[in-house]
Amino acid sequence: MCCSSSIARDKALMGAPEAFDISAVKGMKFFDPHVHMTSRTTDDYQAMADAGVVALIEPAFWLGQPRTGLDSFRDYYSSLIGWERFRSSQFGIKHYCTIGLNSREANNESLAEQVMEILPLFVYKEGVVGVGEIGFDDQTAAEEKYYRLQLELAKEAGLPVQVHTPHRDKKKGTQRSMDIALEHGLDPYSVIIDHNNEETVKEVLDRGFWAAFTIYPFTKMGNERMVEIVKQYGSERIMVNSAADWGISDPLAVPKTAALMKMHGLSNQDIELVTYGNAIKAFAQSGQLDEADFNATIDLTEKFEGNTILRGGQQPRTDKSSIIIS
Amino acid sequence: MKAINEIIGAVVKNNISVEAQKWLDDFIQTTDQSALLARVFVMLPRKTGKLPVAISDDQQEVLDTAGFGYIRSWTVDRLSRVWLLAGLKMNDKELLSAAINRLFLSAEVNEAVALYSALPFLPYPEIWIKRCAEGIRSNIGSVLEAIMENNPYAAANLDEAAWNQLVLKAFFTDKDINLIVGLDHRANLKLALTLVDYAHERWAAGREVHPQLWRLVGKFINAEIFETLKTGLQHYNQVEQRAIALAISQSDYQPAKDYINTFPELKLALADGSLNWNSF
Repeated sequence: MCCSSSIARDKALMGAPEAFDISAVKGMKFFDPHVHMTSRTTDDYQAMADAGVVALIEPAFWLGQPRTGLDSFRDYYSSLIGWERFRSSQFGIKHYCTIGLNSREANNESLAEQVMEILPLFVYKEGVVGVGEIGFDDQTAAEEKYYRLQLELAKEAGLPVQVHTPHRDKKKGTQRSMDIALEHGLDPYSVIIDHNNEETVKEVLDRGFWAAFTIYPFTKMGNERMVEIVKQYGSERIMVNSAADWGISDPLAVPKTAALMKMHGLSNQDIELVTYGNAIKAFAQSGQLDEADFNATIDLTEKFEGNTILRGGQQPRTDKSSIIIS
Repeated sequence: MKAINEIIGAVVKNNISVEAQKWLDDFIQTTDQSALLARVFVMLPRKTGKLPVAISDDQQEVLDTAGFGYIRSWTVDRLSRVWLLAGLKMNDKELLSAAINRLFLSAEVNEAVALYSALPFLPYPEIWIKRCAEGIRSNIGSVLEAIMENNPYAAANLDEAAWNQLVLKAFFTDKDINLIVGLDHRANLKLALTLVDYAHERWAAGREVHPQLWRLVGKFINAEIFETLKTGLQHYNQVEQRAIALAISQSDYQPAKDYINTFPELKLALADGSLNWNSF
């Protein structure tokens, strides 16, 4: 038998917890360019808004449970541009999305074929700022096929591409993702390579792509490591996201990382670029993202197809410290 | 396989009520299994209960010899479901494939565990290859365990790419590497190189490397991999050092063997034969 699980060992290496002091980044604005809000609660939206997140991008992804039919995909894509966008707006957070067929489900080829047929109906919708998240998971032939087809779709639609790089065999998978994007004639400046780490970042930047980093406990980057990355590589074409989803993840990863950067003496300009400005610049190439739209006033009486998240005259903000729920 | 199915059938019957036995017999005797399968498969735990199985010593001995001794850790519903699927009287390949795929499509977690556990017992092993690769994409721990641990199907049937994904994912999700059937037998250069990259990634992140990883690298040591092993030996912890030493002792790469001899402690541990992969 092996020693205890590596998560337990990784936790032991983390040392004593330190409180998140939001005041370090008070007044700063943040943009989380990768967060799966359909998997999160209204409490998360509230906490993100309170911490200064003013806009986000929700990439289309795998829901944990593989879909077995086309309509599940259609309804999911519709929810990203419909109900979820509305839910977000209730907290004053501007919601964008990227649309694509994720790598895992690309392996279900008969379904993938049908999904490819409906993607053009969605990528031209307002507020769709890219094709994503697409790329490799197992690095199978089917994954490559649908990655290539979607790169062509992005090119045709003039949209940036948000590339998911694999957990396993990451270094080679990342190189291969970039090779293929270049082979299809995409400008690396329109391609955001996501989930980088210390082993991939140099090549991604050297080849002219955007390098996104996911701050996600245990399995991806920790934010202390992120501070070191920015110290070493600077802030050009680097962005930070939470990729918060149905797993143990943190929707405040972007503001927390900004606070940690501040504590470690990084300049305000660098922090602003990697937690806000760079992602906006990269995805604004879609023509569908305008910073001026971020500060829209919150209309709590607004309804989406007759529904509102505020039920029965509920007050917009609940007092979490109260035992009474009324 | 027929003899094994018979023993498993006997174990199942010893572990369920007379009523449940009758219920299962009714299904087995019916002429239209495909129409009833889904309902019986889903409803089964209500009839059998979900207690761990009890197996007699004689039965266990036969199962151990055949390589299926591991079913001792199963619950009775899991074993009954596997036995039910293994004994289906659907000789037509298409019919069987359609019936079982229908179960996969709407399986809850315990059903999925039983379905993947049944793969080594099903006829036409080639038709379940894609399904098995799909299962490895799951993020549900018990489903992954059903495929990766104590299951001979994957090693016997998956192509190299899918096999490598299984092993990598087992490391990534903290499965018990010692329980992967066919692990050493299916070691390959491509997997070894990917694992070496993974070790670098873990070190760069300030994380430990699973000692069993080196077991799959040993056979393929070349000049480049040797450099990585040196890094591991020089900078990292004792468990990793010992695992690397063991991997090198099982390789034919002489410079690495000579290098190990410069570490008196490791040299000693190898010489007294106390190191083996079960110790990690």
